[in-house]
Amino acid sequence: MTTTLNRTLNDSSEDKINTEERIKIRDIEIVDVIVMSGSAVSALALSYFFFQILLPVSGVLGFLVCWYVFFNIISTVAVWELRGAVKAKDHLARTFIWTGGMAAVVPLILVLVYVIGKGYHSLRPQFFTQDQKFVGALSDSTEGGGAHAIIGTLQQVGLASLISVPLGITTAVYLNEVNGRLAKPLRIIIDAMSAVPSIVAGLFIYAAWILALGNQQNGLAGSLALAVLFLPTVTRTSEVVLRLVPGGLREASLALGGTEWRTTSRVVLPTARSGLVTAVILGVARVIGETAPLILTVGGAFVMNANPFSGKQDSLPYFVFRLIRFPQEAQVQRAWTGAFVLVILVLVLFIIARAIGGRGPDHISRSKKRRLQRKGLA
Amino acid sequence: MSENILSEGTPVTSTSDVLTPVVRRSRADQIFRGIATTASVTTFILMGLIGTFLLVKGYDALRVAGWSFLTESAWAPDQGGAFGVAAMLPYTVQIALVALVIAVPVALCTALFITEYAPRKLRRILTAMIDLLAAVPSLIYGLWGLFYLQPRLITLSKWMADHLGWVPFFTVDDQYGTSLGLFPSSTFVAGVVVSLMVIPICTVVMREVFSQAPAGEREGAMALGGTRWGVVRDVVLPFGRGGIIGGSMLGLGRAMGETIAVTLIISPSFDAKWSILDQGSNSIAALIALKFSESSTFGISALMAAGLVLFVITLIVNAAASTVVSKSRSGASTEI
Amino acid sequence: MSSDIALLDPGHKAAGLTATNVSCWFGTKKVLEGVNLDMAPGQVTALIGPSGCGKSTFLRTLNRMHELVPSATLAGEILIDGVDIYRGAIPVTDVRRRIGMVFQKPNPFPAMTVAENVVAGLKLSGMKVTRAERDHLIESCLTKAGLWNEVKNRLGDPGRALSGGQQQRLCIARSLAVSPQVLLMDEPCSALDPTSTRRIEQTISEISETVTVVIVTHNMQQAQRVSHRCAFFLAAENEPGRIIEEGATREIFSNPVDPRTNDYVNGRFG
Repeated sequence: MTTTLNRTLNDSSEDKINTEERIKIRDIEIVDVIVMSGSAVSALALSYFFFQILLPVSGVLGFLVCWYVFFNIISTVAVWELRGAVKAKDHLARTFIWTGGMAAVVPLILVLVYVIGKGYHSLRPQFFTQDQKFVGALSDSTEGGGAHAIIGTLQQVGLASLISVPLGITTAVYLNEVNGRLAKPLRIIIDAMSAVPSIVAGLFIYAAWILALGNQQNGLAGSLALAVLFLPTVTRTSEVVLRLVPGGLREASLALGGTEWRTTSRVVLPTARSGLVTAVILGVARVIGETAPLILTVGGAFVMNANPFSGKQDSLPYFVFRLIRFPQEAQVQRAWTGAFVLVILVLVLFIIARAIGGRGPDHISRSKKRRLQRKGLA
Repeated sequence: MSENILSEGTPVTSTSDVLTPVVRRSRADQIFRGIATTASVTTFILMGLIGTFLLVKGYDALRVAGWSFLTESAWAPDQGGAFGVAAMLPYTVQIALVALVIAVPVALCTALFITEYAPRKLRRILTAMIDLLAAVPSLIYGLWGLFYLQPRLITLSKWMADHLGWVPFFTVDDQYGTSLGLFPSSTFVAGVVVSLMVIPICTVVMREVFSQAPAGEREGAMALGGTRWGVVRDVVLPFGRGGIIGGSMLGLGRAMGETIAVTLIISPSFDAKWSILDQGSNSIAALIALKFSESSTFGISALMAAGLVLFVITLIVNAAASTVVSKSRSGASTEI
Repeated sequence: MSSDIALLDPGHKAAGLTATNVSCWFGTKKVLEGVNLDMAPGQVTALIGPSGCGKSTFLRTLNRMHELVPSATLAGEILIDGVDIYRGAIPVTDVRRRIGMVFQKPNPFPAMTVAENVVAGLKLSGMKVTRAERDHLIESCLTKAGLWNEVKNRLGDPGRALSGGQQQRLCIARSLAVSPQVLLMDEPCSALDPTSTRRIEQTISEISETVTVVIVTHNMQQAQRVSHRCAFFLAAENEPGRIIEEGATREIFSNPVDPRTNDYVNGRFG
């Protein structure tokens, strides 16, 4: 009864929303719009005059820069005259900050478009099935493939994740749930580790694993180097994710008589699951393109070697790095194909991470629903 | 139950120092704690090992070179000649500084844009874009820098050398006149490309600190008739000062350790110079990547020593940065 | 004294505020409905009512702070001396400068000294003053806020170094420095000790000749002590808040028309 009553009340108030006219809050007033467009047009005219007629230079970029400078001068003076100095400063700051914000995005788009444009047209299906065994520097750029490099990358990154992800998440659990005596120095160490330059990680594995322990360059050595870089990333991001789990949930579990272990495994980690998965995938996206440590550790190869524990292996970024420095056009083009595949890989991982990160903790997957139904809980 | 956490009937007060609650953990919890602690100790040891092994393997070379390792600019360990990082170190710093000069203003604007100016929808997109900027491999930036940016950027280099040549950094030896061929593979080009990798690092730190600027003070400034810029200038920026400094330093650490993009772009030079525009540059990381495959055992030992220098420097820079950032997070730096 | 406040603006005088049929929403949830209230110039109007009845929301619509909350919308009309504050006749920064606000929690700017805090509004709204004028303004505003004697030797200390009550009076002084015509106060004493509360109440009665004051308070005695007029807000369960009764403070407290008002002012609920 009461619920129906409430609903009718709500319905009636929703009807009223539509009858009352809400005030439209304008962030930008009409005067501003007029000033802006006026300044834009006059800046266009001025820069055409200066740029095309007075200065003996040309080019789209120069024209845009010229226009931007004029636009700022004209619009600031106009706002100053109309609205005073405070508004003028506000306006100028707003333009600069918008510009700066866009300045971070433009190169990203340029980079992606350029690499994709350079690489896509020589990509053939055999890039994923063949290696470079029968391919010479003078063969056509569509011949042969990068399967050996892709396999190598997948194995190295996979092994690195096998090492770093459990270690990293457990360390994060220690930092956040156990919070023992080591927590404080450990945070400092993790911060320091995330600062290790990637080439130094490679040097370290070369010194410790290959020189001191007498191992050979192979996929495993590469994955160890990647793991050194991966570990702090996973730990830090997982710790942030775990910190977001409300303390009330932990207390509720402990108050029900749950042990620390059960609280962590049944309450905290499941709540943070989507965040943790996102953290791991973003971490993978970052190490998958690492080149520098692999130069020192995997050895590089032109033929397929699917065993990461023995013999030199290739990796996709290393493949690109070597081939791009060849003088032959075909080799360079092969490198671009590899770069294209690498970018797509990173983009796909990134999009997956975003999609999972968007899910709340109350998202129940289809497989879990089935399991619950079997148990009679749903 | 044997797991009574507190002895029965004893009143617990938080101020009392008489009673320490006796915590007896279950077997599962003990194992859980044990595993978590082991993982942490492993992480600890790993970090110690990095420094130790670089030192051990670099010791041979360091013993031969002594302090001259820091003052010698040539690099010929395998030929029995002198070797040192005196050329690489200044180049490394120059590249990093060029990157920072570009990245810090852009990151500052981007962070302010995301926290203060952007409409909500745009804010989400831009945050994702910055994350993506961080996820694109440095190899890709290097390729783009080498093939796309460099041919376009050297026009700017030439313009700067021609018109701003009186600035010491922009002076080039132009006895034959400045031609475009003088400018590729320079510190400047490398620095511009590295700046792209620094922007997301700085932005993330600054954005986080700015977004913590207290709402009460923002509203206070608004209620006095402040414009948006007024609020940013009087509330957000003073509050975020630690984040700006710390974020920039984190970026510095990243820029100095950047390897692949720099390796692709520069052509190695072993004479330190002030000018950043003309051909020839170097960095410790690039040196290691370039010289590694052609070095003998002793040469590799020398590279290990160079790596150790880089490791120590980035560690110091980063430790300082973390301190500044964490101080500003706790609000300590706003107390003057 | 009144001449001090009007220092920057010779034509300055308290302004009247008129709210007509104001409704507010957060998203699709309506929190305030059909509020009509006249806040006469030079008078103190108290807004009273239990928590969650929309009085703070209403207060924040009066100087356009409401719209800073994402998803917040409103309908109706608010006039200052007969001019609409929402439909572009006055720039929003001018609205907020003319209608000042003191918040529940003291919020002095931490990066500024006591003196800088007082004149922060001048910088923010771009008013230029000479050094002598500025010093005079600092002293007169702090005096008005009842703080001068306590801080005259500590003007160079950071604003946060003062006690909670002093910080709140510093915020009042800061608001007065831009010579507002209306001052909105959102439970200014809720976090303060009785002595500081008394000082602030004195300040309110002193400034009310030159500034119209609108104050939200949970303290019935305070409402009786400081206000000339009173408006009682109430929200029934799952309904937006409304004004139940409004009139001279004496009437509201001694002779309320609505039984709910009677219950509330006599402490029987809320």
